[in-house]
Amino acid sequence: MDGEITRSWRDPELFVKALPSVLLQTTCFLAPLLMTFILTFQRTRDFQLRWTWDLATWTEIFSKPHYWTILGHTLFMAIACVIVCIVLALPIAYGLATRFKAYENEIKTLITFAFITDATLKTFGWVLFLDKKGGANFLLSYIGFPPETVAFLFTDWATLLGMVYNLLPFAIFTIYLSIDNIDRSLILAAYDAGASKFRAHWEVTLPLCKPGIWAGSVLIFLLGVGVFLEPKVLGGGKSPMSAELIRQTFETRVNWPLGAALTLVLMIVAVFIVLLFTRVAGMKRAAT
Amino acid sequence: MTEAPILDISNVHKSYGASPVLKGVSLEVRRGEFIALVGPSGCGKTTLLKQIAGFEDVTSGTIRIEGQDMAGVPAALRPTSMVFQKLALFPHMTVAGNIGFPLKLRKVPPAEIAPRVDDMIRLMELKPEYLTRFPKALSGGEQQRVALARSMISSPKLLLLDEPLSALDVKLKKVLQAELKRLHRSVGVTFVHVTHDLEEAMMLADRICVMRAGRILQLGEPADIYYRPTDPFVAGFIGETNLLPVTVKSVTAKQTVYQSDEIADAKGNVPAAMVAQDLAAGPALMMVRPELIRRVADGEKMDCSLSATVTEVFTKGGTVQYRARTDKGRELAVEIQGTSALPMQLGEKVRLGWQKKDIWLLRPGEA
Repeated sequence: MDGEITRSWRDPELFVKALPSVLLQTTCFLAPLLMTFILTFQRTRDFQLRWTWDLATWTEIFSKPHYWTILGHTLFMAIACVIVCIVLALPIAYGLATRFKAYENEIKTLITFAFITDATLKTFGWVLFLDKKGGANFLLSYIGFPPETVAFLFTDWATLLGMVYNLLPFAIFTIYLSIDNIDRSLILAAYDAGASKFRAHWEVTLPLCKPGIWAGSVLIFLLGVGVFLEPKVLGGGKSPMSAELIRQTFETRVNWPLGAALTLVLMIVAVFIVLLFTRVAGMKRAAT
Repeated sequence: MTEAPILDISNVHKSYGASPVLKGVSLEVRRGEFIALVGPSGCGKTTLLKQIAGFEDVTSGTIRIEGQDMAGVPAALRPTSMVFQKLALFPHMTVAGNIGFPLKLRKVPPAEIAPRVDDMIRLMELKPEYLTRFPKALSGGEQQRVALARSMISSPKLLLLDEPLSALDVKLKKVLQAELKRLHRSVGVTFVHVTHDLEEAMMLADRICVMRAGRILQLGEPADIYYRPTDPFVAGFIGETNLLPVTVKSVTAKQTVYQSDEIADAKGNVPAAMVAQDLAAGPALMMVRPELIRRVADGEKMDCSLSATVTEVFTKGGTVQYRARTDKGRELAVEIQGTSALPMQLGEKVRLGWQKKDIWLLRPGEA
């Protein structure tokens, strides 16, 4: 056994076999990342990149709390979005996997449509609907509500609504798959052992769909950290999130080193949170 | 002394939409009995078991456990416990968690659960170190024992077994069959065991209920099922058998007179004990098990005999199996205790015979 392992590492063919994958990873993932990192030590002057190799950009980032406020706001919005999505997706996915099994294909097709319809279009659709003179207020006033009941457009609530709306299918799909994988006889066994419906959910269904909840959470968190459309369109650009800040830094301010540094900070913090999350989730699973 | 049955199923029907699955099943199970429900797949045996457990409702008819009507009583509140075909051990709980789960749901304090789990572990002959492991770390046989332990810990009145041994290999199956029998004897709980394997049912059960197409064909002790089937399907369900067509002339309380185009029988009658209850004059079948047929020497007297040609020889170790074709072209299976010299040769023309006490006359049936 031992000999086999060492031999496989010394296998000269191994490098040849691994070469395509290594090349692809290097050119498409590691090299851009490295270039981004190098970029943070340069400066731009007169819309031109200057190779200066100093820490000016990093000094700016760590001295201005503004950037960190935006980062904190971004993380807060992403986490709120994860929680809302999971809470909404659980009953929907459960219903799909159990009650509406007969319409499974139709419902899946509809959700897929929601996926592939352009997010920009849908987000602007919400603006029309939530506007002071929009569809929502029109309908509500029609049934007797005072005018302009719906007045949360261009606030964080509207941003959150847009994020949840666009990212919910990811949670539904991951949770649906894990519920669908649960052997029906496990639920029957719980009933047989004396469990009420609620108890069977709590003791069997919920623990067994945890992998789907974890996967959906990570996916939505990472996508949620990167949203720029919703805060701009639905949030009215009043409290920008990190992705919008980075876009502005690159495009409007043409400060590439700062944009690169902000990108790296966001990436590192997001990855750190995901790792922390999976560690905690993993520990919980080992404990039960 | 007629004790009330622990389980009383009366005229139960079940249909899914327009297709009937159970067409009027009635069955009484005595306390402490080991009863097996046997039949080919789709015969309704599993549906019946699920109805007893409370996972399926009955379209009409009643199921009573200890005299109490179970209609509307959910599975959780029934004094039954099921061992599932796929075992259904909870993958996210340890062995101890799985076995103790029914007690946890009954709000037994954890301090009391642990010793009872230990008792079950000992009863099932599982190693104590397994308690902290997860089910998937155990072998198939060990998982089986854990599933049994989980079902037994809440002291159910009825243990329902849904083909729990069907996924195991032959050797392990034999071990666990013996285990089930021992368990049944030691705990005295009533077992209802569903299986498609009649041989398994014969080994384990006190009484066997053979089902087919939503009806009970025959209910009886293993010997009844094997030697005195009331239906050709039951006769053919286990092992090999020979069913020879005869014509019944008359049935009286003392004897049945029959006629055959082939079987040489000086008297042509059968004592009343050797015929199925519902036999009437007309076409019938004479059943003789292959192991009860033997070669008749020249000049030897035998109750029943016919001449045939040996067409196949299978040496099975302890016994030798023969196929023979009678003069009328009927296939006959014969099993003879093996000896170093074969008693019959391939292609040989022989006289085969059997004694009157070994025959059984039954109705031809639909199939």
